[in-house]
Amino acid sequence: MEPDVSIETPSIIRIAVLPIGTIPPPLLRDYHSMLLRHHTIALSAISSFYTEHQKSPFTNQPWESGSLRFKFVLGGSPPSPWEDFQSNRKILAVIGLCHCPSSPDLVSVTESFNVACRSYSSALVRRCFAFCPGDSQLEDGDKKGENLILFPPSDKQTQEFHLQTMMQDIAASLLMEFEKWVLKAESAGTILKTPLDSQASLNSEEVIKAKKRRLGRAQKTIGDYSLLAGSPVDANAHYSTALELARLTGDYFWYAGALEGSVCALLVDRMGQRDVALEDEVRYRYTNVILHYRKSFIQEIAQRVSPLSFELEATLKLARFLCRRELAKEVVELLTNAADGAKSLIDAKLGYQRKAAFFCRQVAQLYLQQDNRLAAISAMQVLFMTTDAYRIQSRASVSKVSVNNETGTRQPDAGKMHHHSIVSLFESQWSSLQMVVLREILLSAVRAGDPLAAWSAAARLLRWHYPLITPSGQNGLASSLANSADRLPSGTRCADPALPFVRLFSFPLHSSQVDIVKRNPAREDWWTGSAPSGPFIYTPFSKGDANESSKQELIWVVGEPVQVLVELANPCCFDVDIPPNSAKVITLSGIPTAVGPVTIPGCTVHCFGVITEHVFRDVDNLLLGAAQGLVFSDPFRSCGSAKLRHVFVPNISVVPPLPLLVANVVGGDGAIILYEGEIREVCINFANAGTVPIEQAHVSLSGKNQDAVISIADEALQSALPLKPGAQVTLPVTLKAWHVGPVDSDNAVGGGRNAGETQEDQKTELALHCLFTMQVQIWPVSNNGDPQEKESVVPPGRRLVVPLQICVLQGLSFVKARLLSMEIPAHVGDNLRDEDIETESNTDRLVKINPFRGSWGLRFLELELSNPTDVVFEISVFVQLEKSAKEDDSSPVQDSPEYEYPKTRIDRDYSARVLIPLEHFKLPVLDGSFFTKDPPPGTPSSSRHPSFSEKNTKAEINGLIKNLISKIKVRWQSGRNSSGELDIKDAIQTALQTTVMDVLLPDPLTFGFRLVRNGSETKAQSPLSKGSVLSHEVTPMEVLVRNNTSEAIKLNLSVTCRDVAGQNCAEGADATVLWAGALSGISMEVAPLQEARHCFSLYFLVPGEYTMVAAAVIEDANNVLRARARTASPNEPIFCRGPPFHVRVTGGEM
Amino acid sequence: MIVCVSVVGHQNNPLYIQSFTDADDALKLHHVVHCSLDVIEERVNNPKKSGTTLNEAFLGLLYPTLNYKVYGYLTNTKVKFILVTTDLDVRDTDVRNFFRKFHAAYVDAVSNPFHVPGKKITSRTFAQTVSNIVGSYGLN
Repeated sequence: MEPDVSIETPSIIRIAVLPIGTIPPPLLRDYHSMLLRHHTIALSAISSFYTEHQKSPFTNQPWESGSLRFKFVLGGSPPSPWEDFQSNRKILAVIGLCHCPSSPDLVSVTESFNVACRSYSSALVRRCFAFCPGDSQLEDGDKKGENLILFPPSDKQTQEFHLQTMMQDIAASLLMEFEKWVLKAESAGTILKTPLDSQASLNSEEVIKAKKRRLGRAQKTIGDYSLLAGSPVDANAHYSTALELARLTGDYFWYAGALEGSVCALLVDRMGQRDVALEDEVRYRYTNVILHYRKSFIQEIAQRVSPLSFELEATLKLARFLCRRELAKEVVELLTNAADGAKSLIDAKLGYQRKAAFFCRQVAQLYLQQDNRLAAISAMQVLFMTTDAYRIQSRASVSKVSVNNETGTRQPDAGKMHHHSIVSLFESQWSSLQMVVLREILLSAVRAGDPLAAWSAAARLLRWHYPLITPSGQNGLASSLANSADRLPSGTRCADPALPFVRLFSFPLHSSQVDIVKRNPAREDWWTGSAPSGPFIYTPFSKGDANESSKQELIWVVGEPVQVLVELANPCCFDVDIPPNSAKVITLSGIPTAVGPVTIPGCTVHCFGVITEHVFRDVDNLLLGAAQGLVFSDPFRSCGSAKLRHVFVPNISVVPPLPLLVANVVGGDGAIILYEGEIREVCINFANAGTVPIEQAHVSLSGKNQDAVISIADEALQSALPLKPGAQVTLPVTLKAWHVGPVDSDNAVGGGRNAGETQEDQKTELALHCLFTMQVQIWPVSNNGDPQEKESVVPPGRRLVVPLQICVLQGLSFVKARLLSMEIPAHVGDNLRDEDIETESNTDRLVKINPFRGSWGLRFLELELSNPTDVVFEISVFVQLEKSAKEDDSSPVQDSPEYEYPKTRIDRDYSARVLIPLEHFKLPVLDGSFFTKDPPPGTPSSSRHPSFSEKNTKAEINGLIKNLISKIKVRWQSGRNSSGELDIKDAIQTALQTTVMDVLLPDPLTFGFRLVRNGSETKAQSPLSKGSVLSHEVTPMEVLVRNNTSEAIKLNLSVTCRDVAGQNCAEGADATVLWAGALSGISMEVAPLQEARHCFSLYFLVPGEYTMVAAAVIEDANNVLRARARTASPNEPIFCRGPPFHVRVTGGEM
Repeated sequence: MIVCVSVVGHQNNPLYIQSFTDADDALKLHHVVHCSLDVIEERVNNPKKSGTTLNEAFLGLLYPTLNYKVYGYLTNTKVKFILVTTDLDVRDTDVRNFFRKFHAAYVDAVSNPFHVPGKKITSRTFAQTVSNIVGSYGLN
């Protein structure tokens, strides 16, 4: 079936026009159009070329009025199986067109022409027209046989005249060939068959039948040739015979054919004279034709071949003939019938979807051969019918189709119909066909001026077939997309997505660490358990179900921005905002406006000037297909993106507005930089960014290094509640930096994430999880009285996690600690225990030494510190004294238990030493409680060592040291707001370990000297010197022995006096000091915690410095004393020595 | 002369299509093969009408096009073999023989452990075997 059929088609001779060699397309078009002018050649014009070899079978040839008519088929056409049935379907002549300048070798031209002619066995006349030959070609041309005709270069008119002559020649030759053929056919009796006839060998019955039919068919064919030869009268005569014979043999198909021919003959005969009678005749006969075509339908072979197309053709021919305004109704009826018939041909009822699509495409190609807009529109419409069969339908039509086919019962195809399903990918593999059809749709749409259709076709072509399209082809498609978009109004939507490929990447769970917590109305502290406990956000021990459900559900809040991450891929070679052959992840954000469940099936993309909807599922199917090898390539993989990954799509529900708390750390969100041991207050600002007030809030800590947070001023937050929308509250948090060092190895692990930092500053993240529980007032006030209703629906709470990133830098580094001892001899004065001095020493700094009292065995803890940082540190030492250490608690001065030493400044990159005097730590009483248990009474001496078991001693000592150390605090300050405390407990402990007993325990006996004077004398001498002694004067003195233990001690006291050289100057021959009273061997007993005194007098002969030393041997020492003295054996005498006292003797009144 | 042979999968997806003509008519042959699927579907869905028995893999002449004859063959796994020839006079036995050999070659090809079922057959050995079978067609 051809689109331009008419009743007169059987009288038109088909000539194939073939380009031979290379001809530029514009020239070919020119030559073709020159030929087209000669579509009708009058018989009168060809008589000069015509020679009658035999008697012509066309006896009634109208030589005066008749004509031959041609149809030039450019490019030729394949032979039709029906050409025996309708001779006008044969290619009866071949005209080659050759452009000599582009094909210089005439021999090869002739050869290729002959080759081309070979496929047209039905051609009776062959001519090759060679235009514009060169001189040499003209010379050669004559020898190249009669079929090659050279058109010498000349003006256009001459050339056309030449062409006309040649066409007349062809017409004459054809006429003569027709005569020959008819004569042969009449005598030989050719067998004529159509595809309707049985293809297999005939059985005997059929042979007889065929023989009978043969005559009728021959007559019909002769009629056809007569018609082609321009002799309708002869044709009519033959057709009449044929009709007669066909009717007799029941050859309905050929009957219809002959009848059709006769109508054509009638019309050709009455050329130009139309009247009602003729019309009625044509209508009557054609109705008959249609009827007989229908009759010839054979059920058995209907699968293979059907005369349906002839029936339709006849209907169309009649419709075209009758097509006038007055007959509109009739024509419409005919066309409706034809359309129904065509539908039945195309319809799935026959199951010949693909064949129908093939024919549709052929029709579209014919339309496309005509270079005009209307034909292009028709072509486009016809091509659209094929899209289903080739699985390239536009998404706009898919929804309808899939619904229609849902009810279909064709089981093997059931899955195929779902375009989106993976199965459809199978049939999508006829890419060669699909691409051709899409390209034709694109071409026809461009020609037809339908930019949207063109865009859609180009988009489909590019999206589904990009791997098969060359880069230049891809660029071409991109430009046609752009061109189409230029003609479309902006904001046009198209159902078919182009590029890029879009797939879901992830759903960010919650923006700004705001978590939503379901509330349990039965519990006051409903948030517990919901907060991540421990350092890991994910704990493997938490209930699996809870974890799953939280993964599957995503809650969005009305009015709060949400985000979805999608990955885009552009596998093509041009730029689509994404560089060629690359992929990238972008964030899409939006704000939910209504409450309810939300699904995200795809996204809208504005690309190439058109808005399209990209459905994620399509891409997922494509990727799945790619993974199974059904599709050419995975666009994401070819773009270097990760391979197929499963993105879990959570159930998203949108809930009514919730309060939204936004936190920021005052002073920037970066890491808080602290030096080791630094204590700092950090303020965190909370603002209600939502639209609902916050009524309840609870702050809790979680994560590592929770100890670093010393305090949170929770009350500041609580007092600010309810926090109205837009309101702010500041929450001070006190932080203390931990110690950086090998001890905190786990901190170092935490800081390992920021590997790029220097080793000295370890970054550690501390998350302060502030759990904000918010009760939202969403009910009217009147309902507040009904608690039941309120509890039935509880809006969820929310958790805000404020990460506190703390970076601890190494501050002052401790080098070593040493214990130093210092001895300052006391002066023997009037009064050993002067209250004034005592008070003064209390109020003043602790290091101040009373010169009269001296400081024997004063010990200092020396700390060596270095400052490796680039700031200056100031160190101050505080010592805390226990109140009980003082005898009189009532003294108001002692309410302040801390003593501060002068500050020590340590510059950067310097070290310094800090001295801490360890004076005031001595215990007041030396008793057994310190040495744990008393020894068993039976073994008072020998079991002394075992009794003080090492373990117990150590534990006691450690306890004591700890107690001591806790009283010493070394604080530092750097700059204005950086201050902290050094953590040097361990260092002090090691330094004190060995000597702690000496530091802490008092000696069992303490000794003191003083001058004994009369009150008047003292006063008189006071202006001179308070503690001075004159020579040559009897100086009464006394030695004071104090028992520091809780038991009475018997002792044997002796006093010595030495001069500057250290010689005992009270004894011997040259003694310089005379004395009265006992100086040695003084036995006395001192009650516990009491003092005993022994008086004596000295007479100094020589002025100078003298040293008084008291010593005692304790008699009957108990175990406590022995332990304190660390005696080796029980029999060893315990010897106590007091500190030296200086006596300055000045020259008296000599 | 055989101009084209094709293997079409269970889901009507082309697995192998090879033309044996010098002319540039691959697309046309693709169309011919594609259209012949209509006829195969028809035959498979209405076995009574077409008269073929269930056990018969050979589907016979599917349809003659303008200048081709198309023959079909359906394996038990619903894989279709399609043969397009230009010969007008075709003996059924020749075609049956051809399909039998072709089926054997196909079985060999898909028995390759590296072949993914449902994927196009890219084996060069298969292509070679097929062209041998096509070359020997109709010689005896």
